[in-house]
Amino acid sequence: MRQSFLRRLAESVVILIGVALLIFIMLRVVPGNPIEIMMGEHANQSTVDRMTAELGLDKPIYVQFFRYITGALRGDFGTSYSLGKPVSSLMRSAFGNTLKLSVSAAVFAWVIGILCGVLSAVRAGGPADHIFMGFSLMGVSMPVFMTAMVLQFFFGYYLHWLPISGSGSWRNFILPAIALGWNSAGAISRLTRSTLLDVLQEDYIETARAKGLTETTVVLFHALRNTMLPVVTMMAIQFSGMLSGAVITETVFSINGIGRLSVLAISGRDIPLLQGTVLFSTAVVILGNLISDSLYSVLDPRIRREA
Amino acid sequence: MKTQNRFHKSTLIKSAVTLLTALSLSVCLTACGGSQTDAGDNSQTPSPSGAVSSVAPEEGLLRTAVLYDITTLDVAKTTDDYMVPMNIFDRLFETRMVDGTAQVLKSLCEDYSISEDGMRYDFVLKSGVVFSNGSALTASDVKYSFERLLTAAAQNTDIPLEVVGADALMKKEADSLAGFEVTDDTHFSITLKAPNAGFLAELSSPAMSIVDAETMAQVKGFGTDPADTIGTGPYIITEWEANDHYTLVYNDKYWGPEPSVKKLIVRVIPDPSTQNLMFQNGELDMIDLINLDSAIVESSYKKTHADKIVTTPRVGLTYLVMNEENEYLRDVNVRKAIGMAIDVDTIIQNLYSGDAIRECGIIPTGIWGHNDSLAGFSYDPEGAKKLLSDAGYVKGQIYFELSMDSSATSDTQLLYQDISQELGKIGINAEVKTYDHASWLALRNSGRMDSFIARWGMDYNDPSNIMYTFFGSRDNARGRSINYQDSETIARVAAAPSIVDDQKRMAEYQALEKKIILDDAAWIPLLEELHLYCMGDRVESFIPQWAGFSDFYAADVTLK
Repeated sequence: MRQSFLRRLAESVVILIGVALLIFIMLRVVPGNPIEIMMGEHANQSTVDRMTAELGLDKPIYVQFFRYITGALRGDFGTSYSLGKPVSSLMRSAFGNTLKLSVSAAVFAWVIGILCGVLSAVRAGGPADHIFMGFSLMGVSMPVFMTAMVLQFFFGYYLHWLPISGSGSWRNFILPAIALGWNSAGAISRLTRSTLLDVLQEDYIETARAKGLTETTVVLFHALRNTMLPVVTMMAIQFSGMLSGAVITETVFSINGIGRLSVLAISGRDIPLLQGTVLFSTAVVILGNLISDSLYSVLDPRIRREA
Repeated sequence: MKTQNRFHKSTLIKSAVTLLTALSLSVCLTACGGSQTDAGDNSQTPSPSGAVSSVAPEEGLLRTAVLYDITTLDVAKTTDDYMVPMNIFDRLFETRMVDGTAQVLKSLCEDYSISEDGMRYDFVLKSGVVFSNGSALTASDVKYSFERLLTAAAQNTDIPLEVVGADALMKKEADSLAGFEVTDDTHFSITLKAPNAGFLAELSSPAMSIVDAETMAQVKGFGTDPADTIGTGPYIITEWEANDHYTLVYNDKYWGPEPSVKKLIVRVIPDPSTQNLMFQNGELDMIDLINLDSAIVESSYKKTHADKIVTTPRVGLTYLVMNEENEYLRDVNVRKAIGMAIDVDTIIQNLYSGDAIRECGIIPTGIWGHNDSLAGFSYDPEGAKKLLSDAGYVKGQIYFELSMDSSATSDTQLLYQDISQELGKIGINAEVKTYDHASWLALRNSGRMDSFIARWGMDYNDPSNIMYTFFGSRDNARGRSINYQDSETIARVAAAPSIVDDQKRMAEYQALEKKIILDDAAWIPLLEELHLYCMGDRVESFIPQWAGFSDFYAADVTLK
């Protein structure tokens, strides 16, 4: 188990360095001078040339990569061209908001998703099933920006219950969490329902019932645990996706998060910021996979034994 | 089996429904609990970070929003982000709207005189002015501000480079600016390399903001840390949370009249729909309608807030560039035919809902030297077809690329499509191709872009700002992918700023304009957009910045 974890950890480090190298090369191969973008329309060529030299962008690519990677190991990802601040401090402040948004959205998605899935499965074919699956289908099929706008209009503009945008208070995160989480909740509930329906047909469920356990106990303590294996994987992937930046939700609700930083970095060809956000997102996805694999082992003794 | 399941499932359903209901209720109660405001009350105030409170907005507070955050507080490091510099710094002169016209007014400059040859400027500085930290303003601070632009990796070097000795200082061959002489604390003179009749207008550009030499020697965070970014202007910046908001408050040491707005909160709201909802909800006191979809402006604002809309020309030009190195566009007949094929008046009505002015020359409406009587290309598609046919072209033979920046506004994207279709009607195949901003800029700056549409916003009220940028040198014309070939005209454009006599200078600019646009068809001027702002209920009046930047002087807003 520990050996397997360490092996995965080593693989992760290699992937991270590979991604760093790849993004570094790609950003220098694609057309477009980041300094010209940073300086804007009104700067002259001599100023652009001077800034290029001052930022070391005229140096050979291996020198630039060495400087970058040594800086990154010290936690220094450079200074953002477009925001003029250290990338590490920008990411730190953005990650705080993204973490709040992701956790609240994930909690909403997991609670609602699993509940709807379980209720639909135990009432398969009935009105409750149709209602909950309809709710899930809406979540999966409605674009996030549409959900966000409807929530903003209804709860922010019409009812005045919640702020329309911003990130200063925990109340600011309620609407974004629902907008972002509903989509995930829909996917989780559909997966929970189909998996639970399969599990409920298994012999050991019959055995449990034959032993006189209540249906609630059978579903919650026998069937649901086995149902959770694929669901947990999906939850972990969804969560790492949220952590690496929910661009649309962050934009519509004006939350200064990793997603918005990434978009800013891409549109402005802000090399240090883009490298920082890409590396961060890669690290989060790798970590998410590691956690989901570990949870798999916890939930399924067979996997634990194999490991 | 089925019956047995159903028997126990009812318990499970009940527990789950109870849990769901509890969860929903807790969300709703939480939502209600924090707000005691009546549903119809629009007096909610967002804190800078967006939390809504039911407290009425504080007196003197102005709340507005922008789509993108600023990148710096330092004018030396930007050619775009002027909102903060305009409000926290002063300049020797300011261009302000007076009775509907833009005028260059004295600001920190008390008096001045210009030598007969137009090379030497003697200034008297206003006395008794202090920076917001109490440090006194002196002529040495003005000199330091000029020198700093030449030595501190600045982006705005064009104006100080006009001063004698600027090149030597920039190349570190000198340790001070030779053409800038300080006589005493309030008297100084500037000697230019060549006469420039637009120099005073240039000094009113935000780039020429005056900073405190003494403070600069002591602080490390100028331009990034609000506490270290000190000016003499009517406001002080107190906080700047990147990508979220920044706050300006009144500087009680300000030398000028006390403004109505005592505190300004500018929030970064990247989604136009959210900005719209926030304004409608009373969370913003002023909204820049250029950020919103024109359909919303038409259907909502112009109907329900018509008396609250303030309009000003965006003093800038939307234009079509045709690269004279392209095998077809090098032919003046093709360029003239393109000019005749575009129905600008219909474009203004259809795409801009009438919120634009047709422009026929290079110098836009509102700029000194603008020629109202210049007749541009008349819309004449049949004439254009005949011109092409007489020049020996057959239908479909002429092909070039109309390169579009993917970050172009929706109006500009439609403009590309419209012009492509109009050119198609006279047999020219102008294919719209989209590039990401960086690639677009790289291609354009290489001088190899066939054709594109863009907008130039004026930095200061003088024709040289636009004429020189596009036609003042071969490098300038190449950097904009124009590749204008007439060396004699280029030399005249470069020399025009040194004509000291205003009448003669205006005549020269207007002659150049006629030559470049009508004779050589080197550029197709299209239109000047109007800038619309909508004031909220708490705003009494607003005078937009003369050039129609989205940035404005907070002191030009009067609250009720």
